[in-house]
Amino acid sequence: MATVALKELTKRYAGSDLLAVDAVNLDVKHGEFMVLLGPSGCGKSTTLRMIAGLESIGSGDLLIDGKRVNTVPAKDRDIAMVFQSYALYPHMSVFDNLSFGLRRRDIARSEIDRRVTNVAATLGLSELLKRKPHALSGGQRQRVALGRAIVRDPKVFLFDEPLSNLDAALRVGMRGELIKLHHKLGATMIYVTHDQVEAMTMGDRICIMNGGKVVQLGSPLDVYRDPADMFVASFLGSPPTNLIPGRFDGSGSTLAVGQAKLPVAKKGEAEEVIFGIRPEDIRIDGSAPHTYGEVLAVEPLGAETIVRFRLPDVAHDVLVRGPRSVTAKVGERVPLAFDVASAHLFDPLTTRRIA
Amino acid sequence: MISRAFLFVIVALYTAFAAGPFLWVATMSLRTTSEISLDHYAWPEKLHWDKFPQAWFNSNYSVYFQNSTLVVISAVIVLTVVGAMAAHCFARYRFRINRLLYFVIFSAIIFPPQITIIALFQILVDYGLYNSLLGLTLVYIAVQLPLTVYILESFFARIPADLFDAARIDGYAEWDIFWKVSLPIAMPAIATTVILNTILLWNEFLYAVVLITDEAKRTLPLGIQRFMGDQLEDVGMIATGLMIAIIPVVIIYIFFSEKLIQGMTAGAVK
Repeated sequence: MATVALKELTKRYAGSDLLAVDAVNLDVKHGEFMVLLGPSGCGKSTTLRMIAGLESIGSGDLLIDGKRVNTVPAKDRDIAMVFQSYALYPHMSVFDNLSFGLRRRDIARSEIDRRVTNVAATLGLSELLKRKPHALSGGQRQRVALGRAIVRDPKVFLFDEPLSNLDAALRVGMRGELIKLHHKLGATMIYVTHDQVEAMTMGDRICIMNGGKVVQLGSPLDVYRDPADMFVASFLGSPPTNLIPGRFDGSGSTLAVGQAKLPVAKKGEAEEVIFGIRPEDIRIDGSAPHTYGEVLAVEPLGAETIVRFRLPDVAHDVLVRGPRSVTAKVGERVPLAFDVASAHLFDPLTTRRIA
Repeated sequence: MISRAFLFVIVALYTAFAAGPFLWVATMSLRTTSEISLDHYAWPEKLHWDKFPQAWFNSNYSVYFQNSTLVVISAVIVLTVVGAMAAHCFARYRFRINRLLYFVIFSAIIFPPQITIIALFQILVDYGLYNSLLGLTLVYIAVQLPLTVYILESFFARIPADLFDAARIDGYAEWDIFWKVSLPIAMPAIATTVILNTILLWNEFLYAVVLITDEAKRTLPLGIQRFMGDQLEDVGMIATGLMIAIIPVVIIYIFFSEKLIQGMTAGAVK
């Protein structure tokens, strides 16, 4: 177990004007499951590779257990990493793949055998120890890759989108196993993904990155409920938060969104704001509707129904997550009520949240 | 069905085309020169197996064979190790003059030996390596290195970078990664270059004839040439010598052909 601290960590690739990682600060606690989440190219993998020692650090400091390790080579950092491609050595058996890291470390043969056997049993690989990677299924390869990390008993586990190459059903299963594994080992884990479901379900905390910067850091539900800016609001959640331009009236207590007049108090100077509301915070409700919407599409998902609306005088479509009992038909005009208390206001210029 | 038959005919024709000369040399190697001059294509009436020990002991073939073996094996070992290391570096490491170095090494391929051989001759004389097996070995290494690096580099470059990263995280330094990860994975390509270099150098004539004059230092192709006199050609003995030279190549092919095909068709290292 160990702590990992990133202080103003920065990386610029040769020949590029852009910073791949831009002054990232992050404190990962003992035994914490930290998820780095963001779209591709946001710098999350580069950050992970800098922690691993696979990528040189441009500037800033990296501390593992309080010790600066900027120039310590990967092989001496005592970390383990699981790759998206699994990166199993194709010429070695499963046993050799698992023990490759141990054989480097002056560990007695009997101890290596014991540890590999234990890990293989935990992961259900006991029968496969003699096989080569090409004779394994995707899920089995994933387990070997995981086993290779566990067997080393490292200070820190790093995961680089480890579930991306698995099919959907296997992914859900492995997600659960990783959560169990984290509880069992209690190890510090840093997990990179672009999949918000993985981030929400697995992370103790989520660090959302965009354009090389940390945009927001917090527990999954905090980040979901209180997005720091429009990027986080639209990136987290599926379907994403509806972001609709709105305008305060003269009194500053009513916000006009399309034709809806919402009881929202003005904060700050901005007259024009972006009104952000999650699809589940809009109800199809005739009792006290704020506005009416024309149904463009209905997507019944079984447990729930996603309905796409066009609101009068609103340029963007609005998505609503309704119960499975929704019976709206395409073309119909339906009353909609906003749960204003759960909505957020964003500054259209800075994209930051105002309220 | 028709396409299979067609394929069979094509393969049979090609086999006859390729194996015919070989068979002819094989039959001639068991006939005397006078028998051959009577009828060039006849089947041996009496099998003159004694021609082989005669060539081996009396005509110095044992020496030629040893010289060839020594030169080719040393050259191929150095070529394989140095070539693989160079290819690994070119494929793996980003450094400033990577492509420039690669281009310089590879551009040597475009010069035909006739252009470089006089300069080479002079260099070997200057360094006291002329007319020595060591000199010939060094020249063979230099001549075959670009192609070796070229073949291996393209293979090494296809090994996913994640494997090297995984090995680094598993605690291995670059040197160990080369020996324990790169090299074993590249075995099919290594086998290809080993066979290619062995056969090319085993049959090499031009450099050998220019750079070796001493009878005791001749390699097999030069030894065979010795039987081609100005007035008389001992065709029967030449055929026997050819067979002695061919047999190791055939044996190598039999043992390595599977690896060779793997190397030529290998793509996925997933």
